[in-house]
Amino acid sequence: MLVSRIKRQLQVIIPVVFLFLILGLASTVFNRYIIHIITLAGIFIIATVSLNLTNGYSGLFSLGHAGFMAVGAYTSTLLTFPVELRKAYDLLLLPRILGGPNYQWPFLPAVLVAGLLSGLVAVLVGAPVLRLRGHYLAVASLGFMVIVETLAINLRWLTRGSIGINAIPHYTNLWWSYAWVVVTLYVIWRIVHSSYGRAMMAIRDDEIAAQVQGINPFKYRLLSFAIGAFFAGVAGALYAHLTRAIMPYVFSFGLTFQIVIMLVIGGAGTMVGPVIGATLLVAFKYAMKPLEESLRLYGFTELIYAALLILMMIKRPKGIVSGERQLLIANKAGLYLRKAMHSLRLDK
Amino acid sequence: MLKVEGIDVHYGIIPAVRQLSLRVEEGQVVALVGANGAGKTTTLKTIAGVLQPKKGRVIYNGEDVTELASDKRVRMGITLIPEGRQIFSGLSVKENLLLGAYYRKDRDEIKKDVNWIHGLFSVLIERQSQIAGTLSGGEQQMLALGRGLMSRPKLLLLDEPSLGLAPMITKDVYQAIQKINETGITILLVEQNINIAMKVADYAYVMETGSLKLQGKPEDVMRSEEIRKAYLGD
Amino acid sequence: MFTAGYISQQALNGVVLGSMYALLALGMTVIYGILRLINFAHGALITLGAFCFYLCLTLLGLPFIAAIGLVMGFGALMGLVLNAAAYKKIRGGPEVSLLITSLGFYIFIENLMKLIASPQPYAFRPPVFLSQLNKVGTVTFRTIDIFIILFSLAIMALFTAFVKKTKLGIAMRATAESIETARLVGINVDRVIAIAFILGSAIASITGFMWGAKYGQISYDMGFMAGVKAFVAIVVGGVGSIPGAMLGGFILGMVEILSIGFLPPGFAAYRDGIVFAILILVLLLRPSGIMGRKEEVHV
Repeated sequence: MLVSRIKRQLQVIIPVVFLFLILGLASTVFNRYIIHIITLAGIFIIATVSLNLTNGYSGLFSLGHAGFMAVGAYTSTLLTFPVELRKAYDLLLLPRILGGPNYQWPFLPAVLVAGLLSGLVAVLVGAPVLRLRGHYLAVASLGFMVIVETLAINLRWLTRGSIGINAIPHYTNLWWSYAWVVVTLYVIWRIVHSSYGRAMMAIRDDEIAAQVQGINPFKYRLLSFAIGAFFAGVAGALYAHLTRAIMPYVFSFGLTFQIVIMLVIGGAGTMVGPVIGATLLVAFKYAMKPLEESLRLYGFTELIYAALLILMMIKRPKGIVSGERQLLIANKAGLYLRKAMHSLRLDK
Repeated sequence: MLKVEGIDVHYGIIPAVRQLSLRVEEGQVVALVGANGAGKTTTLKTIAGVLQPKKGRVIYNGEDVTELASDKRVRMGITLIPEGRQIFSGLSVKENLLLGAYYRKDRDEIKKDVNWIHGLFSVLIERQSQIAGTLSGGEQQMLALGRGLMSRPKLLLLDEPSLGLAPMITKDVYQAIQKINETGITILLVEQNINIAMKVADYAYVMETGSLKLQGKPEDVMRSEEIRKAYLGD
Repeated sequence: MFTAGYISQQALNGVVLGSMYALLALGMTVIYGILRLINFAHGALITLGAFCFYLCLTLLGLPFIAAIGLVMGFGALMGLVLNAAAYKKIRGGPEVSLLITSLGFYIFIENLMKLIASPQPYAFRPPVFLSQLNKVGTVTFRTIDIFIILFSLAIMALFTAFVKKTKLGIAMRATAESIETARLVGINVDRVIAIAFILGSAIASITGFMWGAKYGQISYDMGFMAGVKAFVAIVVGGVGSIPGAMLGGFILGMVEILSIGFLPPGFAAYRDGIVFAILILVLLLRPSGIMGRKEEVHV
């Protein structure tokens, strides 16, 4: 018993150690620009994997992810902003309960709070919104994102409005980014392979059948929505401390769409899919960036993104890595269940 | 007129109909009966073109129509009046009827048909401009029948015409069905209410869990041991 | 502050914006009614329509009527292409796929315009006779405003007649109710859908022209908000109802103008947020909208 437990834990620890060895190697070999991109890729992986929990595994088509990232980014920024610069930047001084005007939060707690706040917002927003179905949910969540963006622009005393905040302390590096990647993957993997995860997928595939088995769909939806938002908030915070400057328009539809594309192209509903999707698309984007700038072909990369998405939807809607087998069986099982239910009900 | 040869129809991976064969001669009223989930509706839908069989063929007047889309089958004379009526509840009674003749271009003949249908179901004239969704169950069934007839079918497929209707109304509906058959239209109907189906049928097929269990003239079927045990509680 | 003059001025602005939104909503519900697809690409067609008009008028110097005709024709063509190239193929699949694809199309077209035209907005000057300023009592408006109201009403009237009186129109309403039943009756559903795309897209295209004329500028991203607001209008007015969509559009336009006109000045920038707040409220309190059928909005 003990041996197999250790074996299982090793299965997790060894790849992680391996990952960090590779990262260590990379940090010595590559130049700063490439390291920056690799770090950024990590952040997008977190964002995409968290979206996968909400969209892929729970079937909630949420378009509001950028909104949660915004919440996380601004929260972390406001907590960790250097005290001496606050006055100069017209930024709020922290109230007593948050440490008082002379306090500057350290990185990890700030990121955690950022995530937690995003999760909380998700619960508040989700309570009304998650009862909606399909594309109504999509547009409502899109609305949430727009509302967040509007607030960010207009609550100037909090966010400095559309100018945004810069000179954010540069805390995020390769290690932080991928440490969080590991945490995110681990947590979500555990959830997916637990009874919670199974319940979420049951709800996704056949709501009625799940309800009949005593599963309360709403509770699980809210949970997956909130956890997805938590990690989105974390991603947002990490992003802020990497790029050192944030503005409301960064967290708008364009960002959500990028993450959705990464998820869809990589393959929703699998663990590996979003990782691959995020990595590929970040690599692609930053490979194309210099070309786009030099040729002044603004919008070219996005265009290719969109074209790829459309092609993907036509040819291979499940993405590169499709849990196709898994999904197929789950669907059939759901259908069978429903047919059995149907005839049972009519027999009465 | 209609030959169904050994069809297998699946819902996903679940087989709903297995190796089913039946025939309908021109001018007949044929009944397809059985308990719930026996696969009767599935069979009818396959004949109408809503579903495609995994194996087997549907042959209509000598032609293999297995792969043909349902709207094309309508033009050939096969019309399905589906389970639960399925009328366009947001449209008026008149619009529903006219849609039945959608693919037809012969204005005068269409008018004649509308009059004939009004003769069969007088209630439809009274409620011409009413929104179909506000009609009663029986009236909706008549509307569905009328709409189906507007396509001038040669083979009329009826799925559970008595479903959800009071006995009196069911009688009216079946009287209408008989009148329709008298004008030469072949009818294949699916029914759970075995008694009334047997009253109008020339021939009957009994299905159980996806395959044919019994077939024959109604009198013989009703007298068979199995039917008496299963349905008449003898 | 709230003089009769001010109120009537705002009311007029509201009617103008309302007409535009109503037309927008109409264009979108034509497709949504049948396919239950929020066609985000609808917004892109608005942008395309505006730029097409700009091209026709300013660069090619075509007469006004011809430009309008070309714009609508171009829109119709684009709709057809979108349908044939992608939507048709994806239709059988999961509901979400269509939505994602329409998003993809929107982003594609938006960036295409960014590439072809420019990331900067263009000044859009409608023909002189439309820019004329008029004054009735205390209310000022330009001829373009009246044009927008009248043209929108005309198109809406024409469309309603089409859908009520013609065989094809009735078939479209029937298909919107149930695609399967429509097939059973012999309606060629694919053709009906293609026509829906043609009509909806043509309407979107012309709305683009109006939008550009009203706001005086066009840019590659002008279609996004418009497209989403069209959906909000549909929800408010009632999903699946054509008169509902138009009503929803009017109401949305009026509410947007009135909330800006009568709220304290700082709130003006919230106009988009307000629109979404309305959406969420309606979805929660009265999901079937004002005139809508009972649709499965909730889970």
